Amino acid sequence: MSRQQKIELMAPAGSYEALMAAIHAGCDSVYFGVEQFNMRARATMNFTLEDLEKVGAICKENKVRSYLTLNTIVYDHDLSAIKTVLDKAKASGITAVIASDQAVIAYARSIQLEVHISTQVNITNIETVKFYALFSDTMVLSRELSLIQVKKICDQIEKEKICGPSGKLIEIEIFVHGALCMAVSGKCYLSLHTANASANRGACVQNCRRSYTVIDNEDGHELAIDNEYIMSAQDLCTIDFLDQVIESGVKVMKIEGRGKGADYVKTTVECYREAIDAYYTNSYTKGKVADWTERLKRVYNRGFWSGYYLGQELGEWNDAAGSKATTRKIYLGKGSNYFDKIQVAEFKLESYELSVGDSVLITGPTTGAIETTIAELHTSAGAVQTAKKGDNCAFKLETPIRSSDKLYKIVSNN
Amino acid sequence: MITIIQQRAKCIGCNYCVELAPQRWRMSRKDGKSVLLESKDKKGFWSVKVREDELDSNLKAAKACPVNIIQILE
Repeated sequence: MSRQQKIELMAPAGSYEALMAAIHAGCDSVYFGVEQFNMRARATMNFTLEDLEKVGAICKENKVRSYLTLNTIVYDHDLSAIKTVLDKAKASGITAVIASDQAVIAYARSIQLEVHISTQVNITNIETVKFYALFSDTMVLSRELSLIQVKKICDQIEKEKICGPSGKLIEIEIFVHGALCMAVSGKCYLSLHTANASANRGACVQNCRRSYTVIDNEDGHELAIDNEYIMSAQDLCTIDFLDQVIESGVKVMKIEGRGKGADYVKTTVECYREAIDAYYTNSYTKGKVADWTERLKRVYNRGFWSGYYLGQELGEWNDAAGSKATTRKIYLGKGSNYFDKIQVAEFKLESYELSVGDSVLITGPTTGAIETTIAELHTSAGAVQTAKKGDNCAFKLETPIRSSDKLYKIVSNN
Repeated sequence: MITIIQQRAKCIGCNYCVELAPQRWRMSRKDGKSVLLESKDKKGFWSVKVREDELDSNLKAAKACPVNIIQILE
């Protein structure tokens, strides 16, 4: 019955660039944080309170649901500001708030703002689902469950007809792609202990992503741990078993990455959009999975594993620091003009050079993220093979660009 | 005299500075970020000159700040 309803694809939006990239790539919904009240408080890209109205309007115009992430732990001194944020979210037409603290849940309910329960709550069983059903229609499960456990919870919701405040059956949401935490989601105090920076206030310094040495306290010998970043989990990727994810009965699949750029959002949303659509048209094939996986590898990633969903034992740790993306982007310059009639975009090259045949990425707060390959290139000298730093160069592009857009060259990391 | 500077926009409202130097810091009920008392804003950097006797407590606050936005100039 309700399992026939197409699964919702939720994208991260840490900036206007990422928001537009997510919308253009075909997401059904986006989630984002404002100010310091979310798990990416340290990220420089958070929206401000003043952005809420615009974000709400953009989402409404594009028929995309919008979720405000407000899931840090909350102190007394936060209460007043949090009410201000929630009031503003309600007034801006934001679809729902993703919350973990009871103060946030209670206030949102009191102003009739829909509540989703955050993964920070770590819902791992059906009784907890029943408890939160008093307040919420959608719940994000803990990322550490296996798909069998996820399916059992989804089945039980239908069997026992567990409904939320709207009177509809509870919808279960899970993460399908992106960074994983070495601790049970959010229950990590490493950053707090070493840097006073609480992960639960969005200030994680990501100590787990570093390499470590074990010291024998008796004789002082130092042992490097098998060349592995022992606490740095690889990134979650479910594209190769997305059919099983959908068949588990979850209603929303969510991509991690509010701290990541528009190119990451564009690629991940496009791949998962295609995979979901392929599933519903019976064309989800191994060949396509291989293609999606290659594309996903091109943007930021720490190597992929299937998370805890398929029940593997722990131990999928990284063997390198930072991203393993097969490509990287080099900043070239800013947009200067777009000629509508002839569909030509002009950019001012501020660094490096651009040649015919190069792959480029254009990002901007209205443009989102566009990728293309340069077929022909013009400068003031006419048609050229290569445009140099300082040149104004122009090339064919079907989509308009703006002066706020940035041009990058995509190059291989190998 | 010493100068205390806070890059306020980056504050995550953890409350450490208020705990460690309560005479100089308060939490704002308006936006949940800390306020450097009697300071003036210059392009996002809030600063105030205070007497030496406030040095120790504010050095502690600067050291504890998880986002390193407090600077003390002696």
